[in-house]
Amino acid sequence: MTLTERVKGYELRLDLSYDPASDLWVDTSGCTDASGSPGSGVVVIGLDPLGAETSGTLAQLSLAAPGAEVRRGGPLGSLEAEKFVGPLLAPLSGTLVEVNSEALAQPAKVHHDPYGTWLVKLRPSDLGADLDTLVRGEATVREWFESRVDDYRRQGVLAE
Amino acid sequence: MTTIPLPVVKTDAQISPDWVRISGASAIALRFQSGRFSRDFDFGGINLLLNYDDGCKSDCSYCGLARTRPGTYEDKSFIRVDWPLVRTDDLVDRMAKQADRLTRLCISMVTNPFAYRDTCEITERIRAKVKTPLSILVAPPTLNRRKLEHFAEIGVDMIGIGLDAVTEELFRTHRTDVPAGGAGLSWEKYWSIVYDARDIFGPWKVNCHTLVGLGESDRDMVDTFLRLRDRQIFSYLFCFNPEPDSRLGSYPKSPITRWRRIQLAKHLVETEGFGSEQFGFDDEGALVRVSGPASIVQQAVESGVPFMTDGCPGEEGEPGCTRPYGSYRPSESYRDFPFRPTPDDTQQIRAEMALDDVFEPVG
Repeated sequence: MTLTERVKGYELRLDLSYDPASDLWVDTSGCTDASGSPGSGVVVIGLDPLGAETSGTLAQLSLAAPGAEVRRGGPLGSLEAEKFVGPLLAPLSGTLVEVNSEALAQPAKVHHDPYGTWLVKLRPSDLGADLDTLVRGEATVREWFESRVDDYRRQGVLAE
Repeated sequence: MTTIPLPVVKTDAQISPDWVRISGASAIALRFQSGRFSRDFDFGGINLLLNYDDGCKSDCSYCGLARTRPGTYEDKSFIRVDWPLVRTDDLVDRMAKQADRLTRLCISMVTNPFAYRDTCEITERIRAKVKTPLSILVAPPTLNRRKLEHFAEIGVDMIGIGLDAVTEELFRTHRTDVPAGGAGLSWEKYWSIVYDARDIFGPWKVNCHTLVGLGESDRDMVDTFLRLRDRQIFSYLFCFNPEPDSRLGSYPKSPITRWRRIQLAKHLVETEGFGSEQFGFDDEGALVRVSGPASIVQQAVESGVPFMTDGCPGEEGEPGCTRPYGSYRPSESYRDFPFRPTPDDTQQIRAEMALDDVFEPVG
């Protein structure tokens, strides 16, 4: 079930997992059981609200092709905005099963609707281990996100 | 009695002098807009652009603001990026709060009947609260000598002239004989403003924007550098970057090798005093020889300075206006560097420039 809360001015999905290293959200609901334990299936991955905001309006997005094997922390694709270009790093290891052609065709949509415009679907190869590296759980996600907003404010990359 | 109809100005219109556009980099630096740069560097060059409902009256073939480029003025990009619209007083307040980070301010005029009046008004609002050096990139058709003198009187210290096309023929083709009419843009008028500005503002206080990639030869570029240098006027290099939907939207950019060699040639002319005899050209005017002391040329390349953004300096002579990603995408090679190139950057520059193919050491 979707659980959204406004945190420090941003709409934050508390029911998702987040990778602090890559600015990406991960929806594991398709491959975890009711208790959150890993099972088989596919996860959905997208850019989180702060990743989208601090990159600026995206002009170009490239993603690995379906079938590609990716490793956690390895390249998943890249994004380019008016003043920024950077890699997208895979939050989980696994095999890409689908990329969002709409996001590729209109990358600006990712900036405007980061939760509504997913990037890739991936079949994890080691979900049990990778889950431990993600930020999960309502309270943990909220606290982590608040501190991240503060960090970005200190860095001067958020509008005031 | 004869009456002259005046343009109708809507009182609620978001136009200059109460509103201005600022560059995307300026919007990020002043936190009007979230965002970051690909690499970490200090940035303090704030660029303002006048804003009018009916836009710029010019129709230059390569410009995002051209009258015949599709789209409303509000939607048009300039040097390929959006320029957010902000309230002038909010901008001045933010600049005042962050004055210690700012290096250079610049107001870009557009060809519009109100441009001179509004540039003066905005300059005075800035000067009342912010002491950072201020340049104006002028629109010559709106100006004369008296108006330039007034800019100096109200606190402007440098003047830029966007000549862009470096030969009379190219200027006419791209700026004067254009579909919507030339709006008073003429080769003679531009140069008369260059020379008037030089008289009024003094040596090395005036710059001419020279755009590489409009069809000029390397010889045309070097001749222009020499002409300007001999009058103690800076040449600020810009790299043509096709603006989508403009008349030159599908025109190619200059190859990076040509661009790097021109950057170096400009530096050698302007900073090292090279003369015309130190450059050789083929029948088409392409640069085929640069001759000079190896120590000077190699040191120039090693320093990285020739490849940095040409822009008005800060108060202490440091790079002031650096326009990051102004003429290239973040995923492309830096056409001009908004910071001193690192040794890795310099290595890449050397490879791009292939200087050995044209350099003849002397002495």
